[in-house]
Amino acid sequence: MIVAGVDIGSLSGETVILSDDKILSYSIVRTGADSALTAKKATDEALKNADISFEDIDYTIATGYGRVIVPFANENITEISCHAKGANYLFPTVRTILDMGGQDCKAIRCNEKGKVTNFAMNDKCAAGTGRFCEVMADVLGIALEDIGKTSLEAKKDAMISSACAVFAKSEAVSLLRSGVPKSEILSGVHEAIASRVFALLQRVGIEGDFVISGGIAKNIGVIKKVAEKVGLKPLISEEPQIVGALGAALFAKERYKKG
Amino acid sequence: MILQHFEDQESGIMNAIKKNPESASPRKKLALETARLGKRLYSNADDLVWAGPLVPFDLLNAMEVTPCFAEFIASILVSTDAGPLFFENAEQAGYASDTCGYHRMLMGSALKGMIPTPKLLISAMSPCTGGLAAMENLARVFKKDLFILHIPQKESDHGVRILANHIRNMAESVSSHTGKVLDKDRLRKAMENTNKTRDILSNIYKLAQQVPSPVNGRDLSNFGIVLPLFFGTEVGIEIAQSFYDELKSRIKANRSGVPGERIRLMWLQNRIQFKNNLVKMLEKEFNASIVIDELNVITWDPIDPEDPYIGLARRSISSPLNGTVERRVKQIVKLAEAYKIDGAINPCHWGCRQGTGARGLIDSSMKEIGVPVLNLEVDCVDPRNFAEGQLITRIEAFMEMIESRPSPW
Repeated sequence: MIVAGVDIGSLSGETVILSDDKILSYSIVRTGADSALTAKKATDEALKNADISFEDIDYTIATGYGRVIVPFANENITEISCHAKGANYLFPTVRTILDMGGQDCKAIRCNEKGKVTNFAMNDKCAAGTGRFCEVMADVLGIALEDIGKTSLEAKKDAMISSACAVFAKSEAVSLLRSGVPKSEILSGVHEAIASRVFALLQRVGIEGDFVISGGIAKNIGVIKKVAEKVGLKPLISEEPQIVGALGAALFAKERYKKG
Repeated sequence: MILQHFEDQESGIMNAIKKNPESASPRKKLALETARLGKRLYSNADDLVWAGPLVPFDLLNAMEVTPCFAEFIASILVSTDAGPLFFENAEQAGYASDTCGYHRMLMGSALKGMIPTPKLLISAMSPCTGGLAAMENLARVFKKDLFILHIPQKESDHGVRILANHIRNMAESVSSHTGKVLDKDRLRKAMENTNKTRDILSNIYKLAQQVPSPVNGRDLSNFGIVLPLFFGTEVGIEIAQSFYDELKSRIKANRSGVPGERIRLMWLQNRIQFKNNLVKMLEKEFNASIVIDELNVITWDPIDPEDPYIGLARRSISSPLNGTVERRVKQIVKLAEAYKIDGAINPCHWGCRQGTGARGLIDSSMKEIGVPVLNLEVDCVDPRNFAEGQLITRIEAFMEMIESRPSPW
């Protein structure tokens, strides 16, 4: 049995292909204006990596922001359920998940079966999301993948009082003009993100083990700040961006078996 | 323009029923009567009094003045094409965009001359100070008097007596501003009508509690807050009776409000007032029904027609919109148990301190009885702030979570 999970987020699209319980392949592509096209692109790449064809896939479940416009999906399930499922597969002892995606940030509690028992999401604000980090990287002229490392060079945090992407951007510009090092501004930005997501985590209650998924899990600066606040060492998979797609693929396996 | 809206609405409903009598429904009956009320409000034919939602409308109906509460008209105006313009007017006049959408809509439309001039305005200290401030502003716009009704937070004999006297003063104030005299017999008759409506409502809510429920997620939306406008009138009885008959016939035909009902929900505070697909999505994708709205509840005893002021005072004090958070939370838990709900959705209307201030306490009390609560961030009135995709994700995830756990009952 070969199944696929497709996660179409606001910034990236991922496909995971499973053969029974084994991950055959995965892909991560940048989300374009057309979600259906992104889904196809991600799936084509994953199929190529697995050296199989589309016809080999028995069942597909779509998740993420663009889940309803994946034309070849059999069903769709929200990314909240899928992240819990995927995290449970990777770390069976997980009870709390923080998913920091492109435009949403979710704190999820789950049971030993990977079923969601509670969750909270960010409101309309972009703080704690990939978009927020992108805006900050852009203002400071640092590559997105380098902002985590750069922030660790800071001797102290610059004060970023607003978690609003628009206001924080203005604050960062003003700090730059006053000669504050970029590392300190970034450290301050990460502190603001960590405070925001910590509040979200507290709303659902934090219980170990604690997993962080989503693109921001690759930002070591944010991870360090979140870990300090939570007081637990976060478990992060080798590729944290595919946890949602993996969960979708696991659901696809279950649904296909059920018939 | 607004008068035309209500006239079109009235004739549209009447024509639809004439064309297809089977399409008549209690919801249409309610819409028809609210359109007629709107027509009266905007035709300048009546003595109009703007009032807050806790003001006794049956007493005003008995005086033959036309009462309407400000939030109601705001929810009507938002569905008109000019809705967004009114919000912009309010913001251009200096009203902060994160204040309550009901009051922004009201102020914006009043400043544009779209709210008919009343003889008097009446506001209560409950449910919120924002509402009181909006009424004060309206009174200034209209250059009319504002009567403020002080509703005690707790029910005590002393508090009830004070409020009863205050309601009497209110009636005198209405008389002096409109020239309408409060006739004893009409007041008695109005109270008898109110009691009849109350009894029918009580029976409607009992029917709605059945599993599966005969109501769908739309039948009783805004019901408990809008129907009091018709308290004291024959029309109020007719509307309530039509709902009761409909639910009774569904039960007789073994027909639930949502076919194959699987999930029972409570909606806290108020509904989203502009067109959206959320309730239909709940029904279609999850066979989920909103079986109870927080405000669809009878918290008061029948009113003694011979001594109505005491009963009216008790009713206002006991309203879910008045009193301590502790009392509100207890009431919500009681409803959750009575209706055997699987989950509650709290829209957390933007800018509403009264409604959202209790969020954490509601969550923890519901958790104790095993009922999860989904807190959204919705401006229930201003569609410019509506991100349907984001809300759908949250609601769908909530439904998936409910489906994967055992029922609390």
